[in-house]
Amino acid sequence: MRAHTLDAYVVLGVDREYDLTEDALLRAMDQAGVARAVVAAPDRQLAVAEREGNDAMLAAAGRRPDRFVPSCTANPWRGEAAVDEVRRALGAGARMVVLHPAVQGVQANDELVWPLVAAAARAGAPVYVHTGPPGHATPWMVVDLARRFPEAALILGHCGATDLWNDVVPAARAAENLYLESSLARPFLFAGYLRELGAGRGVMGSFAPLNDLGFEWARMREVLAPEAYAQVYGPTLAGLLGEGRP
Amino acid sequence: MIVDCHTHWGMAWTARDGEDPARWLAELDRLGVDRAVVMPHEGIRRLDRCAADNDRVARVARRAAGRLLPAATAWPQAGTEALAEARRAIEMLGARALKFHPWMQGFSTAEAVFGELCALAGEKGVPVVFHDGTPCYALPEQVGGLARRFPATTFVLGHGGLLWHWRSALAAAERPNVWVCLCGPHQRAIERFCAQADPDRLVWGSDYGFGLEASCLDYRLAALRGARVPEELQARILGENALRLLGLAE
Repeated sequence: MRAHTLDAYVVLGVDREYDLTEDALLRAMDQAGVARAVVAAPDRQLAVAEREGNDAMLAAAGRRPDRFVPSCTANPWRGEAAVDEVRRALGAGARMVVLHPAVQGVQANDELVWPLVAAAARAGAPVYVHTGPPGHATPWMVVDLARRFPEAALILGHCGATDLWNDVVPAARAAENLYLESSLARPFLFAGYLRELGAGRGVMGSFAPLNDLGFEWARMREVLAPEAYAQVYGPTLAGLLGEGRP
Repeated sequence: MIVDCHTHWGMAWTARDGEDPARWLAELDRLGVDRAVVMPHEGIRRLDRCAADNDRVARVARRAAGRLLPAATAWPQAGTEALAEARRAIEMLGARALKFHPWMQGFSTAEAVFGELCALAGEKGVPVVFHDGTPCYALPEQVGGLARRFPATTFVLGHGGLLWHWRSALAAAERPNVWVCLCGPHQRAIERFCAQADPDRLVWGSDYGFGLEASCLDYRLAALRGARVPEELQARILGENALRLLGLAE
């Protein structure tokens, strides 16, 4: 297993189409040679049961701190309570804040979202935003956040896949603190974005179990040039998580 | 037998290879794909190139010894000329399907002329294939609405709702004249289609042909094969169903 290999987004839990247990995830990571993964809660726990999901991610990472990096979220509609919950989770060890505007019923650049981004930035945690149609979170909406909070690191989950792909490169050029995450963008498109923007702007995520973790990692290894893969497989995200480059 | 129900003769291929499909077909050979529905690319980007691209796709297909099944497009904005072009493509060029990309072509599926195109397709027995999964003009529910209005026409959700509207595609596919092309949804969604939709109305596609590389074909074939779908059903999706959709079943 290659040290520092880090999957930027895996959904841990069992709910509707999500069916990933800790044991199954560890097996998949071992088989794929992935050292660590950022774990996020299933949709229901992003939308209406955030504390339950945050605690589950923290607990999983507590059991396997060498393998799991916990993320957290709170629905922006909860206002101050959302900020409090994100602060609590970050204080308890969460390392990344997840926003899923389509699931949480808000636009990515809505003012309701701003305090959460500010809280993440203050804690030195990157903010992962699920993007793509139906339009609650487009690449340019995330640019709005990135420019409003230049001290924050924004991760463009799925690169607007699929039909907002045209926007990815110009949007990323408009905000230096915007990073591209690969899942659902598919390796064959992601490689093209990084050729335009530089490999230092990309992070590898599988979005398991919606995608097969091993399959996604294998395809990324095939598609990316070795020098690009050397950044995308983990070092860039480790830096965003405050670990510094290995 | 593997039939790719969603490919394009891309502008990059025209620029490099003219109308010679040899290298395009070599990628199919490499991956074990036998036949493909090939759709226009330039024709869905430019109204003024629509007829010329329909002609080009038909000529390319004729050079492929029956392996490429041409599809054509038309632009509802052209009014009666759109109907004439669709009729010409089916009757003169041998188009096996009509392909529409409503957001790229910039029309609403509610336009009156588009309804006439759907009726023509039903009359001629060719399926209407959509780019779907994208607001505001290409949602599965909109295609489902057309399927209600035109029960004699076969409609294909060319992307199965893509990544965020696959549940909508599942719902639309409850209509007996709506098929789903598994070209875009993630593996878990593919599994849900295979478990819940009519297994006789599922086909597979790759979207191959926009660029010169075949990595999307390779990826999407491997994604289907890696999904938790019984082998027997995979075989039907990849071959038998596609032939039946296209009127080629024995």
